[in-house]
Order: sequence, then structure tokens, then C-alpha cells
Amino acid sequence: MHAEVIHKLQQIMGKEGVIADETQLLVYECDALSVFKHRPDAVVFARNAQQVSEVIKVANQYSIPFLPRGSGTGLSGGAMAAEGGIIIEMQRMNKILSIDVENRIAVVQPGVVNLHITQATAPLGLYYAPDPSSQMACSIGGNVAENAGGPHCLKYGMTTNHILEIEAVLPDGAIIRLGNSAGEAVGLDLLGAIVGSEGTFAIVTEIVVRLLPKPQAVKTLLAAFHSVEACSQTVSDVIAAGIMPAALEFMDDKAIEAVEASVYKAGYPRDARAALLIEVDGFREGLDETSSAIVDICRRNQAYEVRVAQNDQERAQLWLGRKGAFGAMGRISPDMVVMDAVIPRTQLPGVLTEIYRIADRYGLVVANVFHAGDGNLHPLILFDSRRQEQVDKILDMGGDIMKVCVAAGGALSGEHGIGIEKKEFMELVFNEGDLEVMMQVKNVFNPRGLLNPSKIFPTRRSCTEIGKGSTTNTAEIGKRVEAVLLRGSGDR
Amino acid sequence: MASPETLDELCECIASEKGSIVPVGAGTQLEFGNPLQSADCVVSLARLNRITTYNPAELTIHVEAGVTLDQIQHALAANNQALPLDPWNGGSATIGGIAAANAQGPLRATGSIRDWIIGMTVIHVDGRRSKTGGRVVKNVTGYDLAKLYTGSLGSLAVIAEISFKLRPHFESTATAVAEFGSMADGLATLAAVRKSALQPIACEFSGPKPALWLRFGEHPRAVEMQLAQLPSASWKVHRGADETAAWERLRATYAEMGPMVLRVVGKLTDVPGIIDSYDPASWIAHGLNGIVLMALRDTQSADAVREKFPAIVERAPREIRKRFGTFGVQGSVKHLMLQMKRTYDPEGRLNPGRHIDGE
Repeated sequence: MHAEVIHKLQQIMGKEGVIADETQLLVYECDALSVFKHRPDAVVFARNAQQVSEVIKVANQYSIPFLPRGSGTGLSGGAMAAEGGIIIEMQRMNKILSIDVENRIAVVQPGVVNLHITQATAPLGLYYAPDPSSQMACSIGGNVAENAGGPHCLKYGMTTNHILEIEAVLPDGAIIRLGNSAGEAVGLDLLGAIVGSEGTFAIVTEIVVRLLPKPQAVKTLLAAFHSVEACSQTVSDVIAAGIMPAALEFMDDKAIEAVEASVYKAGYPRDARAALLIEVDGFREGLDETSSAIVDICRRNQAYEVRVAQNDQERAQLWLGRKGAFGAMGRISPDMVVMDAVIPRTQLPGVLTEIYRIADRYGLVVANVFHAGDGNLHPLILFDSRRQEQVDKILDMGGDIMKVCVAAGGALSGEHGIGIEKKEFMELVFNEGDLEVMMQVKNVFNPRGLLNPSKIFPTRRSCTEIGKGSTTNTAEIGKRVEAVLLRGSGDR
Repeated sequence: MASPETLDELCECIASEKGSIVPVGAGTQLEFGNPLQSADCVVSLARLNRITTYNPAELTIHVEAGVTLDQIQHALAANNQALPLDPWNGGSATIGGIAAANAQGPLRATGSIRDWIIGMTVIHVDGRRSKTGGRVVKNVTGYDLAKLYTGSLGSLAVIAEISFKLRPHFESTATAVAEFGSMADGLATLAAVRKSALQPIACEFSGPKPALWLRFGEHPRAVEMQLAQLPSASWKVHRGADETAAWERLRATYAEMGPMVLRVVGKLTDVPGIIDSYDPASWIAHGLNGIVLMALRDTQSADAVREKFPAIVERAPREIRKRFGTFGVQGSVKHLMLQMKRTYDPEGRLNPGRHIDGE
């Protein structure tokens, strides 16, 4: 990057607020999808919206791409500088600005870690509901960008249902505020459009989140099954019975094996072919009946063991394994690819069978640990990146799995986003016209295409039809998308 | 007026019209929005009234925009499921109209229509169709454009089909209503409810004769427990048909408010101040989110409200809406919204002037 630009950034940020050294920049060449790498030309550490705005203005002046980055835990490459340029690091904007107990809201900066909001509000009897598995590390700003999910979204909704108001910097540097503490859209719901726009519409610099009262009571239980079919049928039966669990999570034998061999050991039954982790919450009154009804449904589906957590410690233990499952995979496989498809939940038995069949066909192992209640699958393709014959199969295998999910009436991503990882698959679910409308909307926010380029849209489309953005190496990145999907990221 | 019966017909009808296009549903929201500037072709969605797919085990439903909310609830009731919406203007409204107007009612603990939409098909001004979202309950594939269409009053595109996620019907419900001799007593009770462990699914504070309306919906024992813990006041508990009738009374109160009704957006703790400062002739305040619907005597007091709070004109006679913009959005945010309108509808032919483009 030109020294003049670096100098201007330093004037805004101070010398210590800018990194332009090639070695130091290596840290920022990817997010948690570590196989897609592209080094930014500079990283700035924002402390307020004003700085973000000024940096953006410099980037505009020199037509340099820029993008925000929170904790870098994203799984679709959303925070990767696909075309180089400036990464605006939001982690130093990590203050909880206020907690308003009476109005049940918190005002936070985007770099605040998701779990820290709940920790700060817990003594007041409140919590922030969306709980991605990375909640100990992921930032709320990143959650807003990706519309992050988590196990408890089944009952409580995604990030978009909990963001009431934001301050954001538009790609031309203008600072705007959208929404209000009632979450009521006044005029067009631009806030609703920005949440989940994967950092391509605006950079969020302040967030007002809704806090919920902590449920009076929680019941967590684990049910073990000898067959995947019985286990997934139980999911359908629980939903069909009119029960709305707070969470309904599925783990297969491979996932259980990995968890039990790791530090996340939760005491799951090792001989189970599949298990469900089910949680119900709410008022104490009636909760025992609901939990018994679930136990009955499990038994009717031949669950051979149903364990109800007797106290908070047992409950935490049951969750430890589930939340640590991705990380635990390292115990049984050197590398993995995490997928994130969604299917209609009644299709679970058939689609899972098909996924195992696909894995057999390719001679690879797939582990399944996912949010069964809302049909959000996370097939983990296990492989060894040192074995080229395995590496060679992964793209096709992943593609086959995605096609099965879409054919079942599903979608490409339930919570991780499209980013760079799945953009070439967008045409499986959207036609040309659908994508054109989305690109038009992106152009309203991001007319020069400098904010987070080369994301979400299939490569040939994003550079030919829009034509306004910087297209320096989009085509090359497009080729790399395919090439890079070949390697897993086993570091979570 | 055109009344297409299929999506293809709707597309053709819109494609062939070169003047202004005004989509209508059941016409329950005609007093909402800025006054229309022209209406060359009114397109009724009322005959696009099919429930395309309802899969109870999936807890999702896919409908055409002209289906009424009553029609949906009727289909869902057979399986003990519900779409938790109860717009003030009633269940005879079409679901497309409710989405386009972002129409709301007392039931707010479960969010508003935006929180239940999982996918949409819209018809653009040139007759092309596009979709956003899908038919699964959790989905971040592509931009969530349904958020833009919800509340856009058909000014960006015509909503043709909507997919919803659903929830199980509340196992049981009951409503407690108390009237108060003074504002102070009513507000104190509202504050007590807010600070308690109660979790009403609707909480309305109405006036000028102060009254508090609380609805609980849970496991029967959780409902009873909450009724037993109500802060002291002379509560009258309504159940079953009696409960429905009670809410119909509040609905009638809403219908009588006027001539100008403002939807003032405050915080929960702002509610007493809002009612006190602007001297509304009547009001209904949402005790769960701080929104106050109030009947104002003149547009001057409405101007005064907007100096301190965002406020939407819930409904008003055309003469008033001509002078006082429905949304009151200003500055760069308004600019962005107008940009969006121009992108979807460069010639300004969809419901011209009705949304942000009319103020």
C-alpha cells in the first residue's frame, strides 16, 4: 500500500493504531475459515465511529477496499480481505456502554464478546439470548453482520430478532442511527436489512440489544439411541407434539467419540449411534410435565437411555460436550470442513441417511453435530490434509451434500453466512433475477463496492453485472474458492 | 381494478401497466401512509387467496398474499398451531396487507410479523418476480430482503407470497383487566408489573379512563401462578369467550380513536411521560415495548412529539396526512430510503407517494 495512504491512516489512528508490516499482517489474512487467505494491506484498530468514518473516507479517496473484523471467529470468510485493502479491527471498541434494567436493553460497542453481555447482565436477572457456539470469543458486531444463531435460537430467534437499534458507518463514511429501543421500524426497515448483510452494507459501531429475563427454570436432558432414524424421528415428534424446546441438539456416534476423547468430555453414552440434547425452559409451573412428555416421546422412539440433569452442574456438563464438539474433532481427525446447511426438519431422517451414504461413496468420514430442532445441519467432513487423495474429494463431497439439502427444500446456510465459502453455490437456491435484486440493494448501501468486496455473490456475476466495484482479482479469487474449499479448518 | 387469480396473472397485469400501480388487500389500512399521488391501476390481491403448502410437522406455512389472517389461523387451529399476530384492524385483513403495513396489535411478547416471515416472493414494477429467504425456519442464505418489504406499503415491490414459521398455540390463556381511579394508580401498577416476574404476552395501558390489560399465555399452571401474583388492584379475570370479548372491547376503543392517531416510539420508562406531556384524547400504550398509540387533537402536538420521539401516523384523515408526513424520517437515513425506493421503482410508479417518497 502506498506510503501516503499509510501516513493518512496514521494521522487518523495514531502510529500504534495502524499495522502495515507484512509479518504482522499475517494474523489478519483469514478468519476462522482459515483455508481462505488473503493478506490485507493494512489493519487499523478503531476506537470510535468517527475514526471508522475517517478511515473509510481515505479508502474512498484512494479506491481501496475495506472491511470490518471483530473476533475473527466467522466460518464463511466474511472477515477475510478478499481483495486486500484495509481491515478495520473493531475489537478495541469493546465496552458495554450501559445496561438499562427497567427497559431491558444494553448499549454495547461492536467488539464486545457475545458472552460478556450475558455475564454482565446475569446478576440483574437478565441475559442476551442468541448463543453461537463461539460465544466465548465472537463479537456482537460480527453476530450482527452474520445474523448469528446458536442452539437457543430454536425458541428465542436469531440475532436479527434481538437487535433494536444500531449506529453504523455507511461505505461513504456517513454515520447513521437506525432503529430504536422498541425495535420499531420507522420508514423502511434498513436495520433489518443490515443485520445479516455479512458486512457488505455498513460497519456497525454501536448496538442496542434486547435483554430477556432469565427463565425461572430450566430442564436439560440427554437421550441416547441405537439408530439415527429413531433419533431424528424423535426430533419431529417433539415438534409435532406442540412442544417448543429452548434447544434440541443432535450428535452422532463420531461426534460423541470425539467429545468423549477430548477435554470437553461430558459423559455421553459411548455406545450410542446418536443422541439428543434437549432443553426446555420457562416458568417452573408446568415444566416437569413438559420434560416428562419429552422423555415419553424419546422412549416411544426406543431411546435406550434418557438422562435428566439433576442440577446446574450436570446441566453445564451436558452442554460442555455439545459446545466443545467442533473443537473436539481434532481428537479423531487432523482436519475437517464444517458445513452449515438447513433442511425442513421433517426431512432429517432421509437427508442424514443420504449424507452418510455420500460419505461412504467418497470413502470419507462425516460426523454430525447440529441444531436439529430447526433443521440446521452441521456435517463435519473429516480428513487428513496430508493425504491428497482425500483432499481431492472434499469439494465434490461437500457439493453433493449441499445439493441433497437444497433438493430437500433447504438452504445453504442457517447461521454461518455465505461469505466467500459458499458464494459459488448461491445459484442452487436463487435464480439470476433473485440475485440481481440482492445486488441492487447492496448497491444502494455500497455503490462503489469498496466495502467487503467479493463476498456472497457468484464470481462471474459480481464482476460482470455490477461492474462498479473494484474487480482487481475477483476472477482469480473465484478460482481459488474452489481450490481452497479443498482444505479444512480443524482449528475450532 | 384488476383481480388476478394466479401469480402469473399478477405478473402479467403489473408488466402491462405503464402508469401507477396500487396493490390492495382487504383495504383495512387505507388511512395509513402518506396520501397517494396517483392510482392508474389498482391491483387487488384478494383472489390470490390460496394456502400453498401447510406442513404441520414442519411448523411452517406458505401462502399467497391475499389469504386473510383468519383463514390462516383457521387452518392452523386444526393442529393446535398459530401465527401469533393480532393486528388491531382484525383478522379479515390479508396477510400481504398486514406485512406491507407492518400492522400490529396487542400481542407483542412474540414479536411482530417481521419476526415470523421466513421467505417472500415479490413482483417488481416491471412484472418480474424474485424471492428472498426460503421455506426453512432458520436461514441466512443471501440478504434478508423480506425485512425491507415488510412495512414498505408496497412501495418497493408487490408482495405476492409469504412463508412463515409458526408456533404451537398457547396452551392456555387468560386476561386480567383492572380499571383505575387515577392515572397515578394505573401507572404505578404498570410499573409494578414491569418489575415483577410476570411475563404477560400482551400488556396494554389504555385511557383516558386508565385501565391495564394483561394477557398470559402458557402452561395452564403457569397462567394461574401469574394471575395469583398480580400486583394489587381490582382485577377482573377473563377466560374463554369472555376473554375474546374483552379484547374486542379494546379493539373497539382503538377503532374509535381519532381523528389523528400517532404511534409514538418511546422506551418502557417513557410511557408515563409521553402520556403526560402531550395530553392525548385517548391512548393505548404497549407496556411491553414502550410504544404509545395516542389520539391527538391537532398536528401541532404531533410536531411537538416528533421533537422528542420517533412517531408514525397510525391513521388520520387524508387532509391531516397531507400536511403531516407518516414517518417523519430526516437526513441521511431518509436519503438512503429514497435511494432504495428509486432502485426498486425508478419511475415512482408503485404506490406513488404513499411511503417515504411522499414526505
